[in-house]
Amino acid sequence: MQKTRRVSPRWGLWLRGLDEWLVIFQKVSGLALALYLIGHVLAVSTALGFGHNLTQQQWNAIIFGVLEKPHIGAVSVGALLEYLIGILLAIHGANGFRLILMQWFGIGLPKPSRHTFPRATPSPNATAQRVYKYSVAIITIIFIILATYDVFGALLGW
Amino acid sequence: MATASSSEASVETIKIKLPEIKLEKKEVIFKIKRYDPEKDGFYWKEYKLTITNRTTILDALLRIKETQDPTLAVRYSCRMGICGSCGMVINGTPRLACETKPYDLGTSTITVEPLSNVPPVKDIVTDFDKFFSNHKSVSPWLIRKDEKEQFEDLKEYYPQTEEELDNYLQFSYCIKCGLCYSACPLVFLNKEYLGPQALAQAYRWSADSRDQGAELRLKLVDTDNGVWSCNYSGTCSKVCPKDVDPALAINMVKKMLLTGRKR
Amino acid sequence: MVAKSTLMKWHYITGLIMIIVVGIHIAYRWPSYDASVSWPAVQSQISMAWYDIVLLIIVYAASYHAMNGLRTIMLELFHGGKAFTTFVDVLVIALGLLVVVVGTYTVISLIPL
Repeated sequence: MQKTRRVSPRWGLWLRGLDEWLVIFQKVSGLALALYLIGHVLAVSTALGFGHNLTQQQWNAIIFGVLEKPHIGAVSVGALLEYLIGILLAIHGANGFRLILMQWFGIGLPKPSRHTFPRATPSPNATAQRVYKYSVAIITIIFIILATYDVFGALLGW
Repeated sequence: MATASSSEASVETIKIKLPEIKLEKKEVIFKIKRYDPEKDGFYWKEYKLTITNRTTILDALLRIKETQDPTLAVRYSCRMGICGSCGMVINGTPRLACETKPYDLGTSTITVEPLSNVPPVKDIVTDFDKFFSNHKSVSPWLIRKDEKEQFEDLKEYYPQTEEELDNYLQFSYCIKCGLCYSACPLVFLNKEYLGPQALAQAYRWSADSRDQGAELRLKLVDTDNGVWSCNYSGTCSKVCPKDVDPALAINMVKKMLLTGRKR
Repeated sequence: MVAKSTLMKWHYITGLIMIIVVGIHIAYRWPSYDASVSWPAVQSQISMAWYDIVLLIIVYAASYHAMNGLRTIMLELFHGGKAFTTFVDVLVIALGLLVVVVGTYTVISLIPL
């Protein structure tokens, strides 16, 4: 018998709830944004000549000559990447704000109480949590609409 | 005043209308994920069984063992949701076999798998060593500063108000069935994570007004593999058969650590 | 050894700060992303001292928040004892310092005095 092996999970359990999706998004977006931060600071600093060689040529050479140059049809890959990063940022920020309010200040968490057995409503399904989670989803959707207008508005003829 | 001697009244009280029990039968297929420790591999096996609307999954598994396949390994004890031995993944969700009726699930095929995130032993039986050692690691007992007093006769009790009791009572109903541990996506990601059960117990004991060990206990869980691995997916609370709500307890511990307040 | 709760408290503080400052940074991409990254727009943005200070706050808050997050994710996914934890600590501090040094060096000289 192998003691160290564990029974693999049923992913279906995690893919049907908004809470679980938010955890997946929070982790994946966090990782992507952390790596993006490093690249973004280095790239933009180079484009700005590290603040010491501030010229339009340098900016255009890095931003439009390298980052925004590759295109898929009429869409710049660089702009598309920024658009996706923006969406990840919206999800991470909105859900992160929910987590901070909850974990630090306990806002939206019920007070521990005596059971009304069977099946008391678990805290993740309580009304306050639903409001939180759907707010995160709504904020993200609004952000996606605004970001789409912002990045692709001209292309889409909006 | 009610006249107990009145024959009419006494006849009236005896006439209790019992709810009618309707037995409905149905044939279902049990698809069981079995583990062979000798070959170190999983395989699926199907069994056909006629069940009623009152049969539990545990009843059905034992019937399969009795009538169709004596090699099927199942762990159980109390058969009434108290011992926490018969946790398994039923139709994709961790549940207690003794508290789940296949009839109520509404599917003609019922899948039964061993609990995930724990090592398999044989068939549906899993190894809870790490789970129990995680539980033990948070010092889940009353810690008193006046240790000497514990070995002497108590002159008085430690009175608790209703409110003080309510602070932890909900979390003391844990039966250590491991369903939360099995359902937690973070236990899957982080193999060293203490898990929702142990952390909920860390809160249960720290929130007890009789306890004086919160500081020590909170230090044990204030780590990367402690409460901070929790991301509030809440899956633990959704599958808990005793409504312990470990996700709430973990967040209460986080609040304690961040604000420095005990409750 | 810093307690994880202290690290997380700062993680949340920097997170709250970033909701404001990154919000400002993104708001400047409105109403057209393409126009906002053209040289005249960029020049007008960086010539505002307060905007440069916002950038500086982002550099510091984001590098802490991101590196603490990266550390958490790495320590969750991989386990290699004390040596591995030290390696991750050194790695995230080095990456964080890189972002902070390059970011500060650039932004400081942009601030119009």
